[in-house]
Amino acid sequence: MKHMLFASAAALALSAGAASASSHLVFAPGEGAFTWQGFEDLKSTDLKGETISVFGPWLGPDQKLVESVLAYFEEATGADVQYSGSDSFEQQILIDAEAGSPPNIAIFPQPGLASDLAAKGYLTPLPEGTGDWLRENYAAGQSWVDLGTFKGPDGNENLYGFFYKVDVKSLVWYVPENFEDAGYEVPETMEELKALTDQIVADGETPWCIGLGSGGATGWPATDWVEDMMLRTQPPEVYDQWVKNEIKFDDPRVVAAIEEFGQFARNDDYVAGGTAAVASTDFRDSPKGLFASPPQCYMHRMASFIPAFFPEGTVIGQDADFFYFPAYEGKDLGKPVLGAGTVFAVTKDSEATQALMKFLQTPIAHELWMAQKGFLTPHTGVNTEVFTDPTVRKMNEILLNADTFRFDGSDLMPGAIGAGAFWTGMVDYVGGKSAEDVGRAIQETWDSVK
Amino acid sequence: MEQLFWATFTMVAGVFGCVAYFFFSNMLLDRALPPRGPNAGRNINRANALRPWLFLFPAIFVLGAYLIFPVVNSVWLSLNNPSGTRFVGAENWSWLIGDGKFWESMRNNALWLIVVPALSTFFGLLAAALTDRIRWGNLAKSLIFMPMAISFIGASVIWKFIYDYRGEGQEQIGLLNAVIVAMGGTPQAWITIPFWNNFFLMAILIWIQTGFAMVILSAALRGIPEETVEAAILDGASPLQVFWKIKVPQIWGTIAVVWTTITILVLKVFDIVLAMTNGQWGSQVLANLMFDWMFRGADFGRASTIALVIMLLVTPIMVWNIRNAHREAR
Repeated sequence: MKHMLFASAAALALSAGAASASSHLVFAPGEGAFTWQGFEDLKSTDLKGETISVFGPWLGPDQKLVESVLAYFEEATGADVQYSGSDSFEQQILIDAEAGSPPNIAIFPQPGLASDLAAKGYLTPLPEGTGDWLRENYAAGQSWVDLGTFKGPDGNENLYGFFYKVDVKSLVWYVPENFEDAGYEVPETMEELKALTDQIVADGETPWCIGLGSGGATGWPATDWVEDMMLRTQPPEVYDQWVKNEIKFDDPRVVAAIEEFGQFARNDDYVAGGTAAVASTDFRDSPKGLFASPPQCYMHRMASFIPAFFPEGTVIGQDADFFYFPAYEGKDLGKPVLGAGTVFAVTKDSEATQALMKFLQTPIAHELWMAQKGFLTPHTGVNTEVFTDPTVRKMNEILLNADTFRFDGSDLMPGAIGAGAFWTGMVDYVGGKSAEDVGRAIQETWDSVK
Repeated sequence: MEQLFWATFTMVAGVFGCVAYFFFSNMLLDRALPPRGPNAGRNINRANALRPWLFLFPAIFVLGAYLIFPVVNSVWLSLNNPSGTRFVGAENWSWLIGDGKFWESMRNNALWLIVVPALSTFFGLLAAALTDRIRWGNLAKSLIFMPMAISFIGASVIWKFIYDYRGEGQEQIGLLNAVIVAMGGTPQAWITIPFWNNFFLMAILIWIQTGFAMVILSAALRGIPEETVEAAILDGASPLQVFWKIKVPQIWGTIAVVWTTITILVLKVFDIVLAMTNGQWGSQVLANLMFDWMFRGADFGRASTIALVIMLLVTPIMVWNIRNAHREAR
């Protein structure tokens, strides 16, 4: 969902002390397992006196991380890269673009938003050959090209967006100690997960913590649930059709996926605080139930960035851990993984801007963040030895073991749906409306924006 | 650096430009219609007729650019497609008429419009009357006035903690639920209860605006001629009668201005709804709906259409308010 802003802030909160400042380089050039070639090559590009403004959704720890990577570009070329972040990025970028004062590069947490801007002519297409480069160097390259290709103001399709930094969403977080105490096993299939859920209820405990609250974005965690359920009940082709609205939102298959989510969220015995608490609990507070004593819940389905909101000092792998949100054994749909990522796009072109976009294609730009915290990448040219964090490696394994990888659907839908009607619909559904009614209402809005 | 230069340039150019404009336009006028020679009398008359318009021109022009143009442009955008590139006629308007969220917003706005100004003015009047003649009245007044200093978003964050809900059995950190649990009740997720949540949001604005109403009305109450009150007391009027029959009728005009001022504010209510519910659970209002379509839906046509509806609703109240204020001033 949209809240990639918290993405990967994840592990950083727990990290011992990586990336302290952008003013100096985190890793000495030429040392370690990094592919320094890209950095060395860059030194021949002289961009002294050039300023590149980069605007994105990352704040706090994530801002430090992105700045630590950009510092290498500054060091090699002499250019001045100004990163600024905002937690209302979605609105701000639109205002800046309309006002004629866009940054050089915008980092979009949602391809849908980038697509809107491309249609209005605010994005500059990436140079020719970038598509071929992606196909060769990104795992499942074509899918990334497709995700970054939008219609321009003239109606022609161009590659505008470059994906840098990916997140995995199909994760269930739990506290290993609580599982051990109660004698529960990590479930391997959806059938087992549901059995475990019932088992926990039978033991007089509450299995799940679910929180949909997120200020103005309330409802988005539920869209992730529904997307995950879509991938676990329908083949990926149906998912793609759904995202493009080639099948209706109130199609029985979609309604069934919403109801799959409802089996968890609309059961008072299943969720901490009962159904009434689901919509009103902030998603950032929700995981705290795992760590309460006695535990208020045993499991929490959330994307890879959520550890940033775990109690301070929580060590992932010991105090808290995650497992893959399993698929149905009986459905033969493989192991689908839901993910998301951030798209870099050029909003104001310049020579230095192109150089920076080029730098993001080098393995070193990926490795520098990988070696710190919370960064996953589909770039096949990187040296995975630089992963220092076992958690991230484990997430990467989930990515690699995936039979199907699909991008967060609501991020691909038009803004009025993916960041509007879908959220509202989910809030209404948890509030007691039927899945059919909710689907129909979303479809009506979708019809009206076509 | 570039921005700084332009900012400075604009300021300098602006100030000196103004001075230069008045100086040269005046000079030009004197040149064109010299106040001497054979036609001196006629020229002076003509120049005097022209001069105010000449001096008013910059203000009228800027007002036109910043007020009239946006209105005209909004009308135009409301007849265009989302990106404002294709004329679609009344499509946005017909969409609006058929949109459920729009009518929900209209209903909620109407509720806000009735409840908030009425209660704010009522509590403001009450506070003004009660604190008028007591020693610690000023202290009480400053306490009631204080929320005025808090931004709407800040107030919403504070009230979020009051309405906060935790599942039953957990410790309630929300003040309201904590009180209810302490008294043996069951906690409620207040802001998610459709329809009634509107009133919980309104409470925030009433909390803020009561101070405003109180200050204005308190000044008006003090302006009442003492003789009228004394005469009423001598005639044997009870304190309640003095208040309702002597004081209130005399400040009726001020009450109306306070009421309408709050009404206009309420029509634009946005921050509180955005921060508390974002229009979920049936609490949408027009301004937030407009924001949603503008910045989430990236749909300029629909956003402009909703903006125009808000403008149409505000205008009559504003006209009436200004008229009333004029009458007061006289």
